[in-house]
Amino acid sequence: MSERKPVAELGYEQARDELVEVVRALETGGLGLDESVALWERGEALAKRCEEALAGARERVEKALSDAED
Amino acid sequence: MSPGPSTAEEPWPVRTVTRKIAEWIDRLGAVWVEGQLAQVTARAGTGTAFLTLRDPVANVSLQLTAPMGLVAEQREVVVEGNRVIVHGKPSFFPGRGSLSLRVDRIRAVGLGELLARIERLRRLLAAEGLFDVARKRRLPFLPRRIGLVTGRASAAEHDVVTTARARWPAVEFRIENTATQGGLAVAQLVEALEVLDRDPAVDVIVLARGGGSVEDLLPFSDETLCRAVAACRTPVVSAIGHEPDTPLVDHVADLRCSTPTEAGRRLVPDLAEETARIAGLRDRGRRALHGWVDREQRLLDSLRARPVLADPLRDMARRHEELERLRASTRACVERRIDRESREIGHLQARLTALGPAATLARGYAIVQRDTGAQVRPLLRSVGEVAAGDALRIRVADGVVRAAVQDGADE
Repeated sequence: MSERKPVAELGYEQARDELVEVVRALETGGLGLDESVALWERGEALAKRCEEALAGARERVEKALSDAED
Repeated sequence: MSPGPSTAEEPWPVRTVTRKIAEWIDRLGAVWVEGQLAQVTARAGTGTAFLTLRDPVANVSLQLTAPMGLVAEQREVVVEGNRVIVHGKPSFFPGRGSLSLRVDRIRAVGLGELLARIERLRRLLAAEGLFDVARKRRLPFLPRRIGLVTGRASAAEHDVVTTARARWPAVEFRIENTATQGGLAVAQLVEALEVLDRDPAVDVIVLARGGGSVEDLLPFSDETLCRAVAACRTPVVSAIGHEPDTPLVDHVADLRCSTPTEAGRRLVPDLAEETARIAGLRDRGRRALHGWVDREQRLLDSLRARPVLADPLRDMARRHEELERLRASTRACVERRIDRESREIGHLQARLTALGPAATLARGYAIVQRDTGAQVRPLLRSVGEVAAGDALRIRVADGVVRAAVQDGADE
């Protein structure tokens, strides 16, 4: 967990894969509380990033469709 | 009885000279001679007939005298134009100072003999190559001038000229009239041929004569005439007699026509026929071209009628449908994908929430961390861990606020 990029710089797949890792690490346990909270915060940020990416994708699809129908 | 040699001072009288000549000639023996009877004078009531025997090739003749009894006996043979063989003795007639052959036998040259001679000549000329097909020259399609050798005012002349003129009205003739039978025929025919051959405007020469007996047509089987025809630079057409007559000149000529009328047909093209032929060709050409255009038009029409050209939108509609299908399926794909990702993210979010302190925070608790600048901010667990002025980070259920310690421990 050393070189963590700012979440905003991650692509969707990178963010999702890291989110999967974060969840697994938290489930596995054995981390200090400080670390767990930090990890959890990171996870929330990653999840938010993913949702934004998906919402953006969905919007682009809708826009393309509505453009095509004009 | 014999006087001395004649001198200017002592010439001989006529009677002496004629007697001497008669005596000299009388010593000549009898001869057999063949020739053609050119003239026959046999008056009833006279004792002697006078005949002229002509050489068929050269312009040479001989007078004959024959007893009327002999002429009467050979009535069928002694006819002007006939070939005859006579036996006679040269005699001098002092009364007229003329020489003649006193004939005691006359016989006709038999038809068989004539034909046999023609046949021998035919073989000779054939062996020399005068009949070769390779020697035949083509007639001009349209001669500038036609040289015509024929009897004066003859039916043959009329037939050739009339037939040719009917076919090609502008046809031009140069006509040489000659004897076409009898002793003078060959010499005159040959001369006429030479005259016409020398005329540069004459493109073709025709020898024309109507039908006749084998004897009548003899000049046209004559060797001299045949060779003269072969020597002509101008193409020569023979048109002698009727269909079955084939004198030797027919074989030597460049074209043999069975009759003068046929020669007239072969010499010039038929204006009406040629005009019709050109019209026909033109018509065929036009039809061929029309046919070609029609065929191409049908091809073009059938191509136009093909579905792709007839209804170009149909194929486009099909493609459009396909495109729509693809578009719908890509859309479904991407939507499925987004949905799947969304669900996954939802699951992850739910697990994250379950693992984290969200529920506790929701109940009103807060997490306070010391904001030391380290990556992992330590939780504030004891008052002893901070002093006034230290930066704190306080997380509550819906976010984070930053704070600073006002005072130290308050217990």
